[in-house]
Amino acid sequence: MNRKMRDNILRGIIYLTAFAGMFMMVAVLWEVIQRGWPALSLEFLLQPSSNFGAEGGLLYQTLGTIILMAGAVLIGFPVALGSALFQTEYVRSEQVKTFFRAIIFSLNAVPTILFGLAGYLFFGVYLATGVSWLTGALILAIMILPTIQASIQSAIECLPEKYREVGMALGLTPWALARRVVLPQCWYGAVTGALLGLARAAGETAAIMFTAAAFSGATWPRSFADPVPTLQTHILVLAQDSADAVSQTNAWGAALVLLMIVFILILTSLVVRSRFSMEAQR
Amino acid sequence: MFSFLVPDRRCHADPMFWITVFFAGLVLLVAIIFFSYLIFESMPIWEQGVWAFLTSVEWEPAEDIYGAGAMIYGSFIVTTLALLFALPFALCGAVTASEFLSPRTRLVFKGAMEIMAGAPGVVYGLLGAALLSLWIKDFFGLIDGATLFTAGILLGIMILPTIMTLAEDAIHSVPGEYRDTALSLGLTPLQAFLKAVAPRALPGVIGAVLLGLGRALGETIAVMLVIGGLDIVPSGFDLFSPGQNIPSKLGREAAEAIGSGLHWNALLALGAVLFFGTMLLTGAGSWLLRRNKV
Amino acid sequence: MMNRVLFLAFFCLGFWSVGIGFSSADEIKTVRVVGSTTVAPIAARAAEAFSKKHPGIRIVVNGGGSGVGINAVGRGLAEIGMASRQVTDKEKKNFASVHLTDHIVGRDGVACAISSEIFNAGVTQLTREQIADIYSGKIKSWKAVGGPDRPILVIDKEKHRGTRHVFMEYVFNDVNARAKGAKLITGSNNEERSKIAQSDSAVGMLSAAWLNADVEGVALKKGDTFIAPTVENIQSGMYPVIRDLLFITAGEPKGILKDFIDFVRGEEGRSIVTESGYVFVPGS
Repeated sequence: MNRKMRDNILRGIIYLTAFAGMFMMVAVLWEVIQRGWPALSLEFLLQPSSNFGAEGGLLYQTLGTIILMAGAVLIGFPVALGSALFQTEYVRSEQVKTFFRAIIFSLNAVPTILFGLAGYLFFGVYLATGVSWLTGALILAIMILPTIQASIQSAIECLPEKYREVGMALGLTPWALARRVVLPQCWYGAVTGALLGLARAAGETAAIMFTAAAFSGATWPRSFADPVPTLQTHILVLAQDSADAVSQTNAWGAALVLLMIVFILILTSLVVRSRFSMEAQR
Repeated sequence: MFSFLVPDRRCHADPMFWITVFFAGLVLLVAIIFFSYLIFESMPIWEQGVWAFLTSVEWEPAEDIYGAGAMIYGSFIVTTLALLFALPFALCGAVTASEFLSPRTRLVFKGAMEIMAGAPGVVYGLLGAALLSLWIKDFFGLIDGATLFTAGILLGIMILPTIMTLAEDAIHSVPGEYRDTALSLGLTPLQAFLKAVAPRALPGVIGAVLLGLGRALGETIAVMLVIGGLDIVPSGFDLFSPGQNIPSKLGREAAEAIGSGLHWNALLALGAVLFFGTMLLTGAGSWLLRRNKV
Repeated sequence: MMNRVLFLAFFCLGFWSVGIGFSSADEIKTVRVVGSTTVAPIAARAAEAFSKKHPGIRIVVNGGGSGVGINAVGRGLAEIGMASRQVTDKEKKNFASVHLTDHIVGRDGVACAISSEIFNAGVTQLTREQIADIYSGKIKSWKAVGGPDRPILVIDKEKHRGTRHVFMEYVFNDVNARAKGAKLITGSNNEERSKIAQSDSAVGMLSAAWLNADVEGVALKKGDTFIAPTVENIQSGMYPVIRDLLFITAGEPKGILKDFIDFVRGEEGRSIVTESGYVFVPGS
């Protein structure tokens, strides 16, 4: 009896702590929704901001964030796909595979603000793309590369060997194998990777605050060299105005919009993964 | 030419081979350029003495005196705090989800965790600046809520879902036989977990924790807004003092020194220290996670 | 297959060169203005008005602080750097090849700003020595300067900020003075003001135009009297801590840049300056 009671108490403590953790997460969400919701109206979403950001809506900020996200994935996805395919289809040596994995992994470990700074000097100054959405997209692309590649690679690794064996028995070249067998089965990994990459790019502030964003005066980029306003930097600046009620409401509204964008992306990736992935475990 | 990579000679005629080589090479090139730039540009500081840079607490750009001690201390304290705060909740949540929830509830739970893990740092920054620092200030009766403690707690909340979901993966991937065997011996589900599953899942769980730490180490915005910004090592382990950590320092000062000069070198050196630390932690983390998957 | 790849490569190259072409065109279409958060509201509002008259021109304004502005214009990362202080000798040396030229667009005072609760409790003026003692940590409680018995939240600023240079020059005669008593460091004027407003015992350095009901500026001693940081006192030059607000360019501005700077220094620009709470001094 004593043993059972101890077990139940321990179990209870674990449940409680888990519940407390969940509660904190929900509380975080709740605060953002509760404070951001009043700010959300159709005009807020569709109007440009004015008076140095303290008033007005989020139109160009939202657009700017989307442009950076899309640019990052458009640039990063082909590179990640090509690199992933190279490692899974062509490379046979274990050492080379480990080497590449180490490279990808170290890219992933770089603090994002360093990416912003170094990337700015490299792309913005040396390659003369300036403070622009292009520079930002390039930097973000490098940043999300490991995310996309990891997703593609893990999907490909889940492919049962027999698919490959059949392909090789039929005499397919590695590329034909990739195109006809691997990719059709593992495309969900690419889609998940792209979605997660988008979500990560949407959440990133430090990498773009020096390199792509303008706080006032920028709207729709007319060329590759224009900076864009973004939701992330908008929130950052408004967060410093914590005593001003209007700025605060706008900040929460922008945070809610950003959060919703990220949520939709991640939710979609989860749905894609669960519906299409191969159950290789359990 | 590439025979050491790819023994199959047919590839050389395959144009897609060269395309993928190109992309893989591009990734390699980017990484090499980035790392060499980091090392090269921070050299002037390392030449002045590695140990001196790492331990000195004085940082005065106007006099070209640079010491990373306060920032390293801050990064260490804040990250440790985040970990201590997040661990109990994350681990209990992971255990509950993996062992005690029904499969459907577990999926909903996991989904929620993954979504929260993707929340942008700047949203946490807003939460910290507008809410958390005020609560902490009132609750502890401090003169201001911008402290190392605030940053630590904020980061803890931020990495909680990440650690929870990765640890849950690790625990859940332990094969069912371990549990079944323990249950058939008369152990309760909890005991089965503690005695049979946990030791097996431990490398993976540690890996999850280290990866979460890696994220905490690099987070800039959330920390910048609530840490206080003072380049000091508070006396006597005072957590309720304002302080500074590496990403926050970079976020606040990098724009004024961008380009060249000793100040810039010093900031890059700071970045290199952070990068190195993160690499060590996340390297150990992913290695452990992979070992667990076998 | 090969043709497709080549085509793609040339396409991308074309894209890139178009992009570069846009950014390095002789005729400037985008003017980047970076720097002091004190000057930024003037620049942003002037930019809005100016762009209405010149629809093809886009003027982008970013904050960051005086040091960031000077660094940006010195390195060619911006066309105009905003500063609320003078360029230091060290900066002049760093950017010797660029020939930084400043243009005065307005004038502002730096207030020693305190929480309104303290101000209303009676601390409406401070001497320079008192401020120096507060910032060096010798005075820790408001009681020592005639206020309630509460610890002082001493708020300092990032070292490169224009407002800090001017303030420290006044208090310690050293633009790079260290403030040992500081409990918090903020960056922009927004952040500084928010922190002072949120607290009920704070002191900080703030542009006089940014004072409001929650954040009051104390009167500073000059000679035998105390001068408050009002617009009149700043305009007349009586208030002891005054600085010029500058637009800094690399060399002499030409073309649309010159037009914009002339606009800001002209009549319409001046009304924007005064509407924003700053002053302009005729003939500067």
